[in-house]
Amino acid sequence: MEFLSQTYVALRGPTGTPQTPEDTIGRLSDRLSPATLLADRRAAVLALKGLVRDWKQDVGDRALPGLLDVLSNDAEVDADIGKAVLETLNLLCDVEDTTPNSKELGLKHTNQVLANEKAVNTLFALLGYMAFYTRFASLQLISALLQNRRQVVQSYFLKSSAGPASVIAVLEDKREIIRNEAISMVQLLMLQSSDIQKVLAFEGAFEKLFNIVTQEGGIDGGIVAQGALSCVDTLLRFNSSNQSYFRETTFPQALCSLLFFPWKISDKDPAPQDFALQFWDEQKATNAALLLEIMGILVGSKGGNVQEIYTFTRCLTELGLASNAPTKLKSTALRLIPPNITVPLSEMTITPYLPVPETNGEEWDRLEPASALEVIVELALHGEFNGSDGGKQTKNSLELRTAAVAVFENFVRKEEIKLGILQALLPPEDDTEPPPTPPLIYALANTPSTTSALDPAVVLTTHIASILFSHLVRLSPQAKSLARAIKPALQPSEGSGLFVPADGTPTVPAPAADLDEDEPPQTLLQALSENLSLALLSRSRENVTVKESREWDRLVVGYLTLLSQWLWEDPGSVRDFLDAGGMSVLVEQINQVSEDDTLVPALCVYLLGICYEFNQEPGEITRTTLAPILNRLGVDTLVGRMLRIRDDDRFKSIGPDSIVLLYSGPVPSTGRKSDVNDKAEVWFDWAFVDFWKSNYYTIQRGFSTEPDQQSASTGQNVETSMLISSLRDVIQKQAQEIANLQQQLKQTSKTSGNEAALRDQVATLSSQLSAAEEKRKGVEKEQEDLLVLLDEMAVKRRGYKSQLREAGLDVSEDEEDDDADDE
Amino acid sequence: MSGLTWHYVFKFVITGDAAVGKSSLLVRLTDQRFLANPDPTLGVEFGSKLITIPGEDKIVKLQCWDTAGTESFRSITRSYYRGAAGCLLVYDVTSRKSFLNARTWLADVREHADPHVTCILVGNKVDLVEEPDGGGTPVLTSISAPGKHRRQVTKEEGESWAREEGLLFVEASAKSGQNVEEAFVRAACDILAKIRQGVFDDNRSPGVKLSKASSTNLVLEQEGSGRTCCF
Ligand SMILES: Nc1nc2c(ncn2[C@@H]2O[C@H](COP(=O)(O)OP(=O)(O)OP(=O)(O)O)[C@@H](O)[C@H]2O)c(=O)[nH]1
Ligand SMILES: [Mg+2]
Repeated sequence: MEFLSQTYVALRGPTGTPQTPEDTIGRLSDRLSPATLLADRRAAVLALKGLVRDWKQDVGDRALPGLLDVLSNDAEVDADIGKAVLETLNLLCDVEDTTPNSKELGLKHTNQVLANEKAVNTLFALLGYMAFYTRFASLQLISALLQNRRQVVQSYFLKSSAGPASVIAVLEDKREIIRNEAISMVQLLMLQSSDIQKVLAFEGAFEKLFNIVTQEGGIDGGIVAQGALSCVDTLLRFNSSNQSYFRETTFPQALCSLLFFPWKISDKDPAPQDFALQFWDEQKATNAALLLEIMGILVGSKGGNVQEIYTFTRCLTELGLASNAPTKLKSTALRLIPPNITVPLSEMTITPYLPVPETNGEEWDRLEPASALEVIVELALHGEFNGSDGGKQTKNSLELRTAAVAVFENFVRKEEIKLGILQALLPPEDDTEPPPTPPLIYALANTPSTTSALDPAVVLTTHIASILFSHLVRLSPQAKSLARAIKPALQPSEGSGLFVPADGTPTVPAPAADLDEDEPPQTLLQALSENLSLALLSRSRENVTVKESREWDRLVVGYLTLLSQWLWEDPGSVRDFLDAGGMSVLVEQINQVSEDDTLVPALCVYLLGICYEFNQEPGEITRTTLAPILNRLGVDTLVGRMLRIRDDDRFKSIGPDSIVLLYSGPVPSTGRKSDVNDKAEVWFDWAFVDFWKSNYYTIQRGFSTEPDQQSASTGQNVETSMLISSLRDVIQKQAQEIANLQQQLKQTSKTSGNEAALRDQVATLSSQLSAAEEKRKGVEKEQEDLLVLLDEMAVKRRGYKSQLREAGLDVSEDEEDDDADDE
Repeated sequence: MSGLTWHYVFKFVITGDAAVGKSSLLVRLTDQRFLANPDPTLGVEFGSKLITIPGEDKIVKLQCWDTAGTESFRSITRSYYRGAAGCLLVYDVTSRKSFLNARTWLADVREHADPHVTCILVGNKVDLVEEPDGGGTPVLTSISAPGKHRRQVTKEEGESWAREEGLLFVEASAKSGQNVEEAFVRAACDILAKIRQGVFDDNRSPGVKLSKASSTNLVLEQEGSGRTCCF
């Protein structure tokens, strides 16, 4: 300041008359000319800097070209003038200060600075100088220019030969302030420019950034580590060339080791405790989330090798399921498991932990190892830590549970996995005691309590179970037919998990064992229909509170969404549902609709529509039975009611990645406000919303189709369905044929062993035969000879007889007769 | 080969006029494929390949940056020369222009790259001008082969210019695969020789990296490829 006043004095004319600021600025600007002494130029720059605050526009108008000259000529030579000119330019380009028209002026000056590439080149060259203020102020000015006109700076940068190397150099600066500034500048510099991202990667940006992270203490590092990690993220996201390069390096391993996760781990190896149990604070969670995001980029893009994909998927799964990481971080981890998950979760062994109560999260119990799939289902159904916080329905806890649902959904996308899981849920074929009901099925089949107050935790479990189960049956005819055969025994399993633990938890005798022995056990579909009916009755009971009614609604929504997806295109299931009395339950709801109650009736109509549409199997309630009921309700009314769901926020605001909503129900007069603020809820998942939208029109048209007409969906697909049925025939025939051939093959192969023996036998037999033939011929001949002989003898005898007669001897007649008979 | 996946990492750049087949050479090297209609490269693309140096028992990881030949990317691609240990300077034997332009490319490389960079001049697309008899040296095909691509740069001409400039030289075809890996191997051999002579003492070239003594890399990659339990 003192210096300033000196300058003012110096500039005041000899007469002492005060000058206008314009005059002063004009004179100072003149002094920037290279003709003046360096010291004078320095003084002029400092004076101008002091004037910017109040005379930004004038300084800009008069002095900017001179300042830019000083920048390119003097800044390298003299650090002081360098600092001063950089700071002055910084002020001139500032768009956020308090001067009037700040933004406009800042941008105008920026444009002037960027009129050609000269200033930017100088700035990047200045980064190469070690002098603290030169580097620091250059970085600030570059950042400011990038903020204002990023693309221009980026294009100059790509043309400047010194640019990439000097940027890398500042990332190596040991002075923290410079490094921080460098990181934020680099962030801006490479934003949306894959060329710059590639150049920086080529120049070694990954190495430098990981060095920074390590020097800062890994994920325990502060905001600098965070900045460096987010730079790595930017370098990789949307940049496949950099991803390939990154995979070539050892940094993928570094990602793991920064989280204390081993790079090589087999399915059965437990994750190390150093990884599972760590001390977490907010900054560390932020850093870890960035690391996970980077893993997510690599694991979700093409080109990773099997090892890398396995390790990252495992790491994400472990952190999400079996660690003491903050809930939000766990959700992040699970969300990053790629949709096309290739790692079989059912074979991955996970060892979950449970906080020891009253230890404030400092002591943890290790649970029995279980398959990752079981743990995921458990987490989804009951929440973190085995449901010990089941009542908690905060945004974070619900995000975690729905993230687990999403992993499950992705995992069971493959038909064979779906079918495998359903197969395991079927009752045993032999007569053995049914195993304890898996929690998923238990949650669906268990009758909601109507005597005591409805527990929101139980409702949520059932609701999530219905979402999980929908993922198993949706759009898979085979899965649906397996699901129809599930007969829950309704014995809650002691263990956790989807399947029965191998060691066989002792089965508690079913409390409901007084069921009639002859009565076949209920199917899951029947149980669902009954639970639906019960819940629908309960929601509209007289004495139910608004809040409780909302919980019943949530339960109903769970049942209805599951049933809709299950019954769709599956006449067999429709038949089961109608036989279980489903129709009257739905109709009743639709009939007594009130103005402010739209969600549940809308879903009831949807399901009723499905029941009409796919009612194709013979039975008590046919399309012909249903049609008059629909007509009585009024087709237009029905359609109107069905479509009203689209106006409901709980349905409308669902997106692929956002299914957890902030609680919008009634606020209890007692509870603290903050409780409510934090409260969240789940009504629908995206898969259902998507399903609803894809199919509502078919249902809408179906309502107005006559019962004897082809239902709309099949009518539309007559050709397809004919094709399918003819193909099915062909397949059946072929299968039959194959079975026959196999049978034959079996027999032939069985006999073929004997063939040789038989052939021998045939040979001996035929030789025996021919021998016998020979013999027989011989015998025949002999006999013939004998006959001839006999004949001769007879002739002779006759001759002798007649001779004897002639000789007057007595000859017996009977012998004669005998002979005659013989003839 | 136990213990190590690679002994060295060499950074390579591939430069030359547009459409001479730079990307095709790289794809041939890394994927053993030939694309009939590759997109022109925008900026640069990365690809890598492990090669064994014959007779030396050394495994080298080549990290290649394939650059765009289009003029508008010139300033971007220049940034890559500085960090490279090797450079493939590519022209198309059926395009005289691409051969003449190689001079400009070389000047660029000389200006921006490490002075010890190893350059190999690659005359690409020889499959187009293959002499069916293969007898003797190829000559400039005259009008006698209408419709066929004509050779516009003889092998001798390429060879002699390379000799003048101190470049290695090879004629190759990304389409048939002929001499493609050889081109990279020969350049890598040359770099190795320079290393042995101490030209890059203390790892001074940014494009050459010695493998760390640790063996982690190999074990991992082997495990990776051999792993089946995941499916
Ligand atoms: N016959 C033949 N054609 C080739 C060969 N190599 C490349 N081509 C063809 O030449 C054309 C250009 O190939 P690119 O690999 O894209 O050329 P480039 O040098 O990468 O081009 P830019 O990326 O634009 O610089 C393509 O149509 C290729 O199929 C070769 O060895 N023989
Ligand atoms: Mg290319």
